[in-house]
Amino acid sequence: MTSRFEPDRRGFLRAAGGLAAVAAMPAALVACGGSSGAGGGGSKTLRLVGVSDQQKALDELTKLYTQAKFTTSYAPTDQVETSLRTQLGAGNAPDVHVVYPGNGSAMSMAQIAQAGLLADLSSQSWTQLIPANFKSAFQVQGKTLIYSAGSSVIGAIYNKKVFQKAGVQPPKTWTELLDVCAKLKKAGVVPIALGAQTAWITQLITYALVPSTVYAKNPQFDSQMQAGSASFAQSGWRDAFTMYLDLQKRGFFNDNPNGTTFEQQTSMVATGKAAMAVQVSAVLPDFRKAASSPDDLGMFPFPGADSADGVWIPAGVVVGLGVSARSRNADAAKAFIEFLGKQENINRWAAAVACIPLHRDASSTIDPVLEPFLPFIEGNKAVPFMDQAWPNAEVQPTHFAVVQELLAGKTTIDKGLAKMDQVYRKKS
Amino acid sequence: MTTRRTARPATTPSPPVKGRRTGFLTPPWWFVAPALLVYAAVVLYPSLSGVMYAFTDWSGIGGKSFNGLANFRALFHDERAVGALKNTLLLTVAIVVVQNGIGLLLALGVHARIRSRTVLRVIFFAPAVVSPVMVAFLWKYVYNPDPHAGLNGLLGAIGLGGLRQDWLGDPSLAVWSVAGMVVWQYAGYSMVIFLAGLEGVPADLHEAAMIDGAGRFQRFRYITWPLLAPALTINVMLSTIGGLKLFDQVYAATGGGPGYASETLSTVLYKQAFVYGKFGYSTAIALVLALFVAAVSLLQIAYLRGREVQA
Repeated sequence: MTSRFEPDRRGFLRAAGGLAAVAAMPAALVACGGSSGAGGGGSKTLRLVGVSDQQKALDELTKLYTQAKFTTSYAPTDQVETSLRTQLGAGNAPDVHVVYPGNGSAMSMAQIAQAGLLADLSSQSWTQLIPANFKSAFQVQGKTLIYSAGSSVIGAIYNKKVFQKAGVQPPKTWTELLDVCAKLKKAGVVPIALGAQTAWITQLITYALVPSTVYAKNPQFDSQMQAGSASFAQSGWRDAFTMYLDLQKRGFFNDNPNGTTFEQQTSMVATGKAAMAVQVSAVLPDFRKAASSPDDLGMFPFPGADSADGVWIPAGVVVGLGVSARSRNADAAKAFIEFLGKQENINRWAAAVACIPLHRDASSTIDPVLEPFLPFIEGNKAVPFMDQAWPNAEVQPTHFAVVQELLAGKTTIDKGLAKMDQVYRKKS
Repeated sequence: MTTRRTARPATTPSPPVKGRRTGFLTPPWWFVAPALLVYAAVVLYPSLSGVMYAFTDWSGIGGKSFNGLANFRALFHDERAVGALKNTLLLTVAIVVVQNGIGLLLALGVHARIRSRTVLRVIFFAPAVVSPVMVAFLWKYVYNPDPHAGLNGLLGAIGLGGLRQDWLGDPSLAVWSVAGMVVWQYAGYSMVIFLAGLEGVPADLHEAAMIDGAGRFQRFRYITWPLLAPALTINVMLSTIGGLKLFDQVYAATGGGPGYASETLSTVLYKQAFVYGKFGYSTAIALVLALFVAAVSLLQIAYLRGREVQA
């Protein structure tokens, strides 16, 4: 049954959206607000809201774009999620705003598209460059609703000096990984830094292992989950959790991972107190900033199988931008997205966030530390980040909580997987 | 000495001035109208309009359908919400008891005739004016699990290394660690309210009791404590309401974790709305929380006011 109090609701939402915008304003002004593109001849002013991770790329690209002016604001994901969803609900969303690829979070493309709030970008030429295995991250029912510059990978960011000192090389298999960790531990360093107090960090080790334990054996796992013929509990997710806890039981993590934050994890690897951390390549700039020299750090695929052939990796489309379907400046906003889709701008964005460009040409450069991952991507041994295929926004936070409870010994793998299955089956 | 039980606050009623109308100093009721209008527009209208969403399946950005009492039925079967309610009650009891206990001791301490009392009052009250989020970030450093940092480092330095803990990462401790930071922040606030109460205790009652041979404890028990009842009412009310709707410190320090170990009703309702996109369900939790806070506050005020006395 639909509501009869639409006018009141709209009024209420507009007020709430306005209040949320006012509430978010001080942070935006202090931390990361701004305007750009003033030097150009464009008459439209586009309002753009992004997450902090996008600021470096967009600062550069909005300055280069001369067909419009911009008022921009950037904030961490949870703050943007709060204010932007309120504005989307109130009908006063910014012209261009952050959108997460695929499904699985409140600000993901599929969730926003359900309300018809994203403009169709399908007619733009760059959309022809989207690789087939990434289409589900960009499209709903064949319509492209999000722009993203490429993909990032999850693997182990490691301190080369620490590895060298302990006389070890990046491992190629799970058994080699256990051996390397044992040697590092013997050498007196923490083998793997884990900052599980920062909730999103908890997922990274499972995400690094699941491509090998689940998708390498059953590439149809996602569609089987959607059809209800597969479950987390009856899949390689069980192996991935068992391996995760095995690393803990062997003492390969720092003490008290649930009390350790992302910042502490970063510092441990950058300063050599820990040898590696399983991370997404998008945070390489943070690790480099914390290290005495950026060249101290490398990255390798985190092996989740006992044979090198069985190792698959996670490679997810990076957070992107969408155009509000209700924008009064929709044409100007789409023109900006078209500009971002040019190969040179895809390259610029990819370089700023250390990701692999959506499409590569001779001028594309890839961060050298990502080169070990390219054979996996080119060999179709890469799968999107798991949450991008989950049907509602509750599975991912449940995964975070389950990992924290497993690390604390407060739940079992059986119970954790059952909880994830239960939440997966909920309607969005 | 005797005390008179009354249901009214301990204010000294001013005698009517002879020859002057007593209503002269009473402002007309419509003076309150501008504030009431702003309050109604900014608080009452949005809050009451929001109530109807508790009976819908609204996601916050799309259409919605009325689903009757489904959100409320789900709430009472939601083990996370029940766990969060338990945490909220534990936190509230801990904060009310410890914060007001420490606040009272601080008030008695700085009420004494010591030279540094003004400076001490400022120092003890200072945390109350800091943003709760900043306090949480500060305490994340204090609660660093590293054995050589923060509170653990201090414990090690004074020979109590055995008491080092993973303050925010241990599920059985996280809630109490959050309570600790809230108490640290607001004990000074309770102190100020108790101090105001102490200033109102007539010195002649103490002098009379001393002449009668009453000791320090007896004077506190039979003079100070009963006359502090109005201050206690305010402090208990404010700390109870603050505890029941605690959000900022929990969200910034633990995010409700590890797992769901430190979730409160406020963090659950925030996540339901903005992380899971379930505004209808979240509004139902908010409505239940508001009614619960109102009921607890009314019961408290009825009880506490009943034990107030006047000098």
